[in-house]
Amino acid sequence: MTGSAGSDPAGVYEPDLLGPDPREQPLAHYTAPDHRGDLFLGAPDETARQWRALAAGLARQHGGDFAGLQAQLDRHVADLGLGFRIAGDKEERPWPLGPMPILVGAREWDAVAAGLVQRANLLEAVIADLYGPQKLVAEGAIPPAIVSGSHNFARRMVGITPPGGYFLHVCAVDLARGPNGEWRVLADRVSAAIGIGYCHENRLALARTTGGLLAEIGARAHSGFFDMLRRGMAGHCVNSNPGGGDPSMALLTPGRFNQFYAEQAHLARQLGFALVEGRDLTVSDGALYARTIEGLKRIDGVWRWITTRDLDPMHFDSRSRIGVPDIVGAATQGLAMSNWPGVGVVESRAMAAFLPRLAHRVLDTDLALPNTATWWCGGEAERVHVLADLDRLMVGSAFGQRAAGLTGTAMMSGESLSEDERDTLAAAMERRPMDYVGQEIVHLSTTPTVSQGRLEARGFTLRAFLARDGAGEWVVLDGGFGRTTHTPGMPTTSIGLGESASDVCIVDTERRPAPSVPLKTASQTVRRDPGLLPSQAADNLYWLGRYGERAQQTARIVRVLLDWSARLGEAEARTAPPADGEVPSTTDRVARLLVRLGAAANDDTHAACRAIARSALAEKELPGSAAALVKREQRIALLLRDRLQRDAWRTLHRAVPGLAGEPEGKGLAAICDRLAERGAAVAGLMDHRMARAPAWRFYDLGLRIERASIVLQAAQCLIPGRASANDLAALLDIVDAQGVYRARYLAMPYIARVYDLVLLDPAIPGGLMHQLERIERHLSALPTVRSDGMPDPPLAALRQLKAQTQSSAAHELGTLTIGEWREGLGDLGREVGARFFLEPAAPEQPTTRLLA
Amino acid sequence: MKFRVRHRSTLAYGTPVAKAQFNLLLTPRPFAHQTLLEHTLALDPEPQTRRALEGPYLVNTTRIQFTGELEKLAIASEFTIRNVAPPPPASGPPIAVVRSEALAQRDLSESSPAPFLFGSRIAALEKEIGAWGARSLTEESCIVAATGALGGALYREFAYDTRATTTRTPPAEAFAARAGVCQDFAHIMIIALRSAGIPSAYVSGYLLTRPPPGRAKLVGADAMHAWVAVWCGAALGWVHYDPTNDRFAGADHIAIGMGRDYADVAPITGTFIGASPQTLSSGVDVELVEDGAD
Repeated sequence: MTGSAGSDPAGVYEPDLLGPDPREQPLAHYTAPDHRGDLFLGAPDETARQWRALAAGLARQHGGDFAGLQAQLDRHVADLGLGFRIAGDKEERPWPLGPMPILVGAREWDAVAAGLVQRANLLEAVIADLYGPQKLVAEGAIPPAIVSGSHNFARRMVGITPPGGYFLHVCAVDLARGPNGEWRVLADRVSAAIGIGYCHENRLALARTTGGLLAEIGARAHSGFFDMLRRGMAGHCVNSNPGGGDPSMALLTPGRFNQFYAEQAHLARQLGFALVEGRDLTVSDGALYARTIEGLKRIDGVWRWITTRDLDPMHFDSRSRIGVPDIVGAATQGLAMSNWPGVGVVESRAMAAFLPRLAHRVLDTDLALPNTATWWCGGEAERVHVLADLDRLMVGSAFGQRAAGLTGTAMMSGESLSEDERDTLAAAMERRPMDYVGQEIVHLSTTPTVSQGRLEARGFTLRAFLARDGAGEWVVLDGGFGRTTHTPGMPTTSIGLGESASDVCIVDTERRPAPSVPLKTASQTVRRDPGLLPSQAADNLYWLGRYGERAQQTARIVRVLLDWSARLGEAEARTAPPADGEVPSTTDRVARLLVRLGAAANDDTHAACRAIARSALAEKELPGSAAALVKREQRIALLLRDRLQRDAWRTLHRAVPGLAGEPEGKGLAAICDRLAERGAAVAGLMDHRMARAPAWRFYDLGLRIERASIVLQAAQCLIPGRASANDLAALLDIVDAQGVYRARYLAMPYIARVYDLVLLDPAIPGGLMHQLERIERHLSALPTVRSDGMPDPPLAALRQLKAQTQSSAAHELGTLTIGEWREGLGDLGREVGARFFLEPAAPEQPTTRLLA
Repeated sequence: MKFRVRHRSTLAYGTPVAKAQFNLLLTPRPFAHQTLLEHTLALDPEPQTRRALEGPYLVNTTRIQFTGELEKLAIASEFTIRNVAPPPPASGPPIAVVRSEALAQRDLSESSPAPFLFGSRIAALEKEIGAWGARSLTEESCIVAATGALGGALYREFAYDTRATTTRTPPAEAFAARAGVCQDFAHIMIIALRSAGIPSAYVSGYLLTRPPPGRAKLVGADAMHAWVAVWCGAALGWVHYDPTNDRFAGADHIAIGMGRDYADVAPITGTFIGASPQTLSSGVDVELVEDGAD
């Protein structure tokens, strides 16, 4: 060893001359436009120490390289499936999470939290009045137009009180911190607490990237909050579970095309709620039920992520296709619903203008957290003020709708308007003053953010979350969803935010013992039932198994094609059409199988093996190509986000190297190997990690039915006519039974022996009989809806098929019999669909399934 | 005047549907100048549950639910109603005054102006319709005269054409085509009024059609009708105007309900489980039982 240990490989750093090494103390050279208005530079000493410890700890992770840290974090984000879509996106994109969290000292935060609780109580009181006696309207404290102008006002709900007593169970509040450290509310979000799941995932991703660093600096954990939230939501429902078990809770999603579906799926899994769509649910006799594989199952509480308007076609918009008819009727009879329909009426900018005065009237006190000063132009004096002071204000629509004279629905700075635009706006405001508000421009504190590998000051806002606990008390999440501005300089709300997210850490100066859930309040009932499996989820699991198996088998068949073309040499490996009476070659037979599976076009059988192999692997236009099947498998996996184990999820979504390009030569065989390995890895993870519950059975059922179907088709393609020893050997390759055959017979393949191995011997894991036995075990174990002790139709169909195969002798088998078995397998698939899955959806969702 | 109204509808499905439930908005709400004397709503088959509700707008809702299968549903609404002709409307305050009076009301009920100030699902505010209406709705003009002027412009510039639109045609398309039926005209007029900050509502109902002299009236030749209610200030309140016939509503306008647009008063809406298409046939007959003022 020389003396160079520990020194910088790029040169010796001289701390005395240049100050502290930025790779060890990244915040040493950090500056902000206004030091007092920066979270780090303006922090009290003890919080500043925590900032430095955090930055140094982060820097250590990647040898001072924040860019490397970002890359690592990006991988964790992708692994968590933290996607979102912006309107118009076809595919989800990963959420851009910055590695530097926002630190807020506990003392500062606790004051904010108290203000949030006060605000939530105020909103609850206002909502209760608007849907109840409407005294605040009659007394002139709330102009009726700011209520009726909100598209979230649900007149249908007036006069109905939630049986649980609360309109609100979860709230999100957007906050800004001003340059002097004062916090302000930018917006209230009570219709849906969008971001609450991302906030939690941000923490998970960051904690994974940084090891124990967050705990070391004293960051408060999120655990506990979600438990409280769950108990709060379940707290007041009529529990249908006998013996005081936990009530059955569900998260009602608008569906996978919703831009926040990933977040909803994550929350459902996190909370142990069933993830359901409207068509999974039905109301009967005033109670809500999910359609499951066991028939109708009662649901006691719902966290709805569907807008009020779409929630219930009988109570609101009759055209809604994603809602549940009469779910509101069920909610008035004991179904817990968070949040109550119509609560969004308090979210409007116009309402914010009145909240300071309403705080006095309703709570008899000032707002602890002021909101952005807002003027609703429906008042004459306010309109005059806004127009006169336009240069120093933001202007926008009162209810977030489009309004004449404004571009878009976001607030815009008055200063940016031209003379003509002002005249247009003033004229429009004259005609419809109630559509407009003016707001003060809010200046923002800055926070250290990683930008191009360095720490730079950026403005930030924070979305905070509150939920009621089981006793109805508000609990504030220690943290939040942070967003930072994308440009340096003095940030204000007029600039707008970038798409970069940050975790928010609330740091205690002394380490507090982690708050543990008091055991007394937690239900301690022990259960082993697997929970609710909606028919739709069972359907998706089944097809996940089928498409995954099909993709893997297709790759293996292509590999057999390539192997045999190499073995037979160029001359024989041509897959030219055989002349009359001529026997087709082995490669020709394998190619036909690929055509039959939709992995090669019919005229492709004239082409060379490599061309067929390439298209069967990578041609996305062919419905049966491995690439197309993998895509379908991944699409279905998106719908099962809440049910898939993390490693399986990651393996499923990882790109297959080479598949997207133009594979050639040896690359083809390598892709086959990777696809086969990938398929085996997914199937193995599912098999080893999924609980032995119906969900696993449906996945495996799909896989087995698909494998059985491919074995039969392979036998149909390879054997007819005079099968050569090569043809039989290729079939053994496809079923992966060459080794067993050689061990048993020490002779070249003979047809009856091959039939026995491939179709009749239950000991061959790739053979038909083994699949039938597995299918029988699954169908016998699944719940029955019959009370007469007779088997359900799928099991009956399976037993019939199995009896046919078992009573057959290998010497007597022919293509005709195999064709009959394939029909029997098709019947079985249809019976499974009819018994367990939902009826096909209404005609506007055409089913484009490839497999039957 | 006293009227007898018979409104029959039949819903049919190709194959039976399950869990059918409907909101029926066929029972008239009381309006000024209108008294419901008697009403029956007969259903065949009889639903398992049937509930009478008020609202959420100025409508009566009958909610019915079928638990078994349903292949066909016959709905017969019959009622007798007494109408007196509203007095010819006074001129009312200028538009600017109506606008500020509307905002000053401390009332959020279904007959207050506030719910009818804003664009709604079907009657969304449209720039072109607003600009077109502004020609008739000048700031200084009195509200009743301005309503007549707007309705007159609509009557002159638009063609009554039953083939131009369907019940689902957005008002903006009917406006661009300068053609439509009562539903389109009512929506266009509502959008024009609301664009000027004037509360206006969609009224659904029936109109007595008088046969040509010497001919008997054909039973079932009538149809449902729609017109507009305009809030003309605190003193005058709601004034009904029929843009299809270019006149203020008279004793022969029989109202069922009033909402922000057609969606709030649609006579039959519902849901069911099944892939079968639904067909609706209906016939309306309005009979004058007693003429003259009572």
